[in-house]
Amino acid sequence: MRPIQYILIPLLILLLIFFERRLKKQFLLKFVFVGVMLAALGFTIFPDTSTSIANYLGIGRGVDLIIYMSIIGLTSCCLLLYLRIVKLERQLTELVREKAIDAARGL
Amino acid sequence: MKSNKRICVIVPVFNEGKVIRNTLSELLSTPYELIVVDDASKDDTYLKIKDLAIHYLRHEINLGQGAALQTGMGYAVLLNADVVIHFDADGQHRIADLPSLLEPILEGKADVVLGSRFMNGTPGEIPLVRKVLLQHARWINGLLTGLWLSDAHNGLRALNRTAFSKIQLKENGMAHATEILIEVRKHKLKFMEIPVEILYSTYSQSKGQSAWNAFNILSDILLRKFFP
Repeated sequence: MRPIQYILIPLLILLLIFFERRLKKQFLLKFVFVGVMLAALGFTIFPDTSTSIANYLGIGRGVDLIIYMSIIGLTSCCLLLYLRIVKLERQLTELVREKAIDAARGL
Repeated sequence: MKSNKRICVIVPVFNEGKVIRNTLSELLSTPYELIVVDDASKDDTYLKIKDLAIHYLRHEINLGQGAALQTGMGYAVLLNADVVIHFDADGQHRIADLPSLLEPILEGKADVVLGSRFMNGTPGEIPLVRKVLLQHARWINGLLTGLWLSDAHNGLRALNRTAFSKIQLKENGMAHATEILIEVRKHKLKFMEIPVEILYSTYSQSKGQSAWNAFNILSDILLRKFFP
């Protein structure tokens, strides 16, 4: 085994357990995150598979393939978080508004 | 102009302790009711105005001018107001413009009346950067909303009950000025522009938005357009 595998494998297993336990009811998110962690584990244990998939897609190295996928994944995460923040902002606005109006009406 | 309609002036306020009393005292000389929405000011705004005969609403956290206007309009619905006017707290609008702003609404010619500082030609006292920005903002507003106006982001507006009960502002920040136009189009409201004057005082300019904020407004509008 290569040294990097000693670092990555336990980390990925920890993340896998984290997502499995934390995302209880959000099945789609759980499916995606657990799937990504399992794939990452697979690529760590069998590093050559990523390279052969990359070559098949016309990319030189397996690492490059993983970087491209990560960029797409991380950008999607940012957008999802942005939408979540917008939703929270709207709920907060409604609460603050209702409270202001109730206070002005002497309720 | 006499009318038995219930007319409310909504004044969104954020840290305007220095001028708010002047602005409100002037407005109190009109026959209209005042709804002041204090957007969580941290200065002495409340102490300066607490003895005035106004409806005072306070946001517990700062949300932005769009949110304050929406709160004011929500309250106006409960007051059974017939017309609301949006009026900035910093003294940039003139009370003398209010009758002509209201006229098209009271005569049933429009649901929404927007003030424009460019209708009577371009007044000289507008700072150049602002003038250039506003011209571009007109184009962007036009492209995004389909409403081609002579001014963009003028804070002086009047809305009848149909308009202010239908319009729901979700943009808490300054992008609400564009959102209002989107809502006007969506609800097929009749709108009209009338010439008004903006008083560019040192105070209103220092309190007003910096030119860079135009980029924030544009990105807000685009983000919400793609992620409604």
